[in-house]
This record gives sequence, structure tokens and C-alpha cells, in this order.
Amino acid sequence: MERFSEHDELAVVLAELRPTPEAEFAAELDAWVTAGCPPRSRARRLLPLSGSLRIPRPRQIAFGAGVTALIAVAIATALISTTDSGNPARMAIDRSSGGSLLNAFSGPVSESTSPEGASAVEAQAAFPSSGRAIERSARIALLADPEDVADDSAQVFAAVHDAHGIVLRSNTTQGAAGRAGATFDLLVPSARLNDALAAISAIDEVGSRHDATTDITAPTVAVGKRLHETRAGIDSLLSQLASAETESEREALEIELRRERGHAAALQAQLAHLHRRTHYSHLSVRIETGDSPASTGAWGFDDALGSAGHILGVAAGVTLVGLAVLAPLAILALLAWLAHRTWLRIRREHALSRRV
Amino acid sequence: MEQVLAATEAPRDADLAFEALYRSSRDDVYAYVAGLLRDRAAAEEVTATAFERAYRKRSRFDPNRGSGRAWLFGIARNAALDELRRRKRQAELAVDPADLDEPHAHEDAERRETRLLLASALAELAPRERELVALKFFAGLSNAEIATVVGTSESNAGTRLHRILEKLREACDGAL
Repeated sequence: MERFSEHDELAVVLAELRPTPEAEFAAELDAWVTAGCPPRSRARRLLPLSGSLRIPRPRQIAFGAGVTALIAVAIATALISTTDSGNPARMAIDRSSGGSLLNAFSGPVSESTSPEGASAVEAQAAFPSSGRAIERSARIALLADPEDVADDSAQVFAAVHDAHGIVLRSNTTQGAAGRAGATFDLLVPSARLNDALAAISAIDEVGSRHDATTDITAPTVAVGKRLHETRAGIDSLLSQLASAETESEREALEIELRRERGHAAALQAQLAHLHRRTHYSHLSVRIETGDSPASTGAWGFDDALGSAGHILGVAAGVTLVGLAVLAPLAILALLAWLAHRTWLRIRREHALSRRV
Repeated sequence: MEQVLAATEAPRDADLAFEALYRSSRDDVYAYVAGLLRDRAAAEEVTATAFERAYRKRSRFDPNRGSGRAWLFGIARNAALDELRRRKRQAELAVDPADLDEPHAHEDAERRETRLLLASALAELAPRERELVALKFFAGLSNAEIATVVGTSESNAGTRLHRILEKLREACDGAL
């Protein structure tokens, strides 16, 4: 016997099994809608329902902690890289016009930068380290009016001449403020470096001054010792040569002697170079005619335009850096959101597949 | 209803449209959720949650992606599945015993036995099958709306429903 001959009959009985809400619940839900659907926190006080608070699961907490850690690492990396690029000591070495000299040293470095002129070199002069080989270098920037550039340049030459220094390179440009200027690459006897700096500082207003010292005692001593040993070896070879009895023995000693003499010459050159670095200081002088209020004494439309351009440039740079930081974070957040949605969909379907 | 939801831009009109959708679907949503969860208290909570979510998302309803009822039942389905995940259990019966124990007026014994047999067969169905029955016969959705809610094609939804009805009929006949 068939209880249901047609699906329609089955559908009718199924419809009779349809659950219906309690009148009390329906009335409370109606009241919630009539009240304009207030937030659930208020609605839940009206509805005696369970499970109002959802506690995050360990996996969700771990996910959040992971994302937070990732963001923290990204920000820290960005900050560290910014700090490194802005390290004044590193920048001073990179920008130093005496970089070729500084790059060759192996000893400790001390530096100081002062717009007023108080310097490590003066401190070094006040407390000389006897027996130490010290290499010194300095940079000084003068602020001048455009029409004074030629005169100031002549005074720089005179100061170098008075200090018995050497002009390695010089470059002078005439023109309007900002374009006119001069640069000098100089070697000055270390003993006269302070006199030269004082003379140059008196030419015009000092914009900035940077001094550095490098202790090259260790390489100097090492090269001197190796030279002494090589010379002792040459003396020994000469003694052996005098007492040599056979022709072949003499030839072998002469070959060895030539090689040792070549080695001694190379060491001698190295030592001379180190002594030059100690005896002569590298001095870089720059005469600038920028649009500094102190040098021009006025602030006009061009200055305003320049300032506006500078501000816009800085703002664009800051925006670019901000985007560079935020864009990866936004992509990460988007990927995390998409992954969360997919994960949620899978978990929901999985819940439906679970059978009692 | 869905046209009203989509066409209205003024907040007041949208609220009225939502209220109309609520009035026409409240009992259907509850019936579907209760049929799926088989827990009266949980069904009430999930129904309220579903309407709250629908109210919050009412501006995002897109009539091109289905009817207003299908959209609402999609939200109710997610809320119900979240509840299933949270509880990690399902109730034993498709409907509360109270619904079956209350004899309908003028009901004869054979009719009552038939209902009990069918309720038992319904409880034996897989949750995914029981969900389709709830959407079709408790909530009264069309095959097209069911397809939208569960994310399948209309023909597939119809075919699956037909198989489920056959399964239920065989279960009831086999019990005789």
C-alpha cells in the first residue's frame, strides 16, 4: 500500500510540519521592527535569546596577531631604513669631498659639524696626541652675495698660498643668486690647517663647517715594521752574496735581492703616502649664493614661488613614501579579507555537511 | 518587494520596503531556520540576527542578483550555518515535539500517523537535503529562489528536490 501516490499529497503533509514561531517571539520581533530596527545590543535586551556574545576563537586571535606582527615588522623595516639613510655620520662620509682619502683609512674616525666654527680639529690641536699619526680633513661653506664671489675666491687662493697649501681643483661660477658660487679642493699642511680655516672663515659669513680626524697610526706602524724587516732581509742577502762561491749561487741570490728591493720600494711608497696623509689635510671650501634671507636680505615673489615648489615637492615625497608603505599593507589586508571570506564559506558549507 | 527595495533611495522608503519584506517573510524565515537547526530557541535567535543583518545591508541589495526573498534567505542561511558552526551540534528532531504532539482539530488517527512517519523520515535526511525541504515546503520559496540561496542552478535544485521527495515517500512506504 502506498501512503503517498503523488508528490502533491506529500507536499501538503510536509507543509503541515512547518514550524511556526511563538506568539511572544513574533510580537517582540515586530516591536523591534516597529521601533526602527535599533542595534542588536539594545534589541537583545528585549529578546530573551542566548548567545549574544561571540568570543573570538584561538585561530582568529592567532590570525589577528599574525597580521599585527606583519604590519609591525613592515613599519619597523621602513623606519630603520629611513633612519639609516638619514644617518648624519654616514651621510657626512658619503658626501665628504675628501672621501677618497677617508676611504683608505683603517683607524677610528671622529667628526664634528658646526655652523659656528668650533671644531674637533681645534680640540685635536689643543690636546695633541704625541706619537700618533692623525689624518685630518675639513669642509667649510661660505655664504656670499653674487657680486662678492670673485673677490672671495681670490681671498681663498691667498689664504691657501699663505698656508703653503695646494689647490687640487677649483671652480668659480658668476651669475645671479643661487647660480653664482665657487668650490675649492685643497691640500693644506696639517700644521697650518687651523690658520687656513681661520683665514677662510674670516672671508665671509660661515654657513657651515665640518671637521674630521682619522687615526692612521696602526697602518703606518705596520707598514714601517714590514719595511724594516724587508731592509734587514736585503742586508742579509748582500752578506750572503759577498760570500757566495759559485756562479749559480750568486745568480740565485741576485734574483732574490731584486725581488726584495722591489718589495721594499713598494712599502716605501705606501709609507710615504701615509705620511702625506698625516702631513697634509684635505680641505674643501664652497662659496654659496643661495636665497638665504641672511645673504639676500629680502624675500620676493620668486622666493615665494621657490618655497611653494619646495613645499609641494616635500609633500609629494611624503605622500609617495606614505603610499609605498600603505599600498603593501592594503594589499595584505585585501588578501586577508578574501582569504577570510573563502575560509568562512568553506566552514559554513562544512557545518551543513556534518551529520548527527 | 525587491523592486521597492532596489528602486527607493530615500531612507524612509527603504525602511518601509524592509518592513514590508519583514512582514511577508518573518514566519517563513523562522520556519526555514527552525527546520534546519531543529532548535526553537536557536531559531529565534538566528531569525532575529538575520533580520538585523538584512536591515544593515538593505542598501546593498541588488535586484539583478535575485529576488528580495532570495537575498533575505541567503542572509538567514549564513546566520543559521554560523549558529551550526558555533554549536557544533544539531537537534534531533526536524520540528519540536510540541508541534507534533498537539493534535490538529478534526484530525483522524491515520493522518496523525502519517505526519509522525514523515517527520521521522525528515529527521533521517542529510542536513543538506533537509535544508532544501525547509526552503521549499516550510518557507515556500520557488526553485529559482532556492537555487539562488544555496548557490546552484534552478534545474539542479528541482532535480534534487524531486529525489528527496522520492526518498521521503519510500521511507514512509517502507515503514508500513
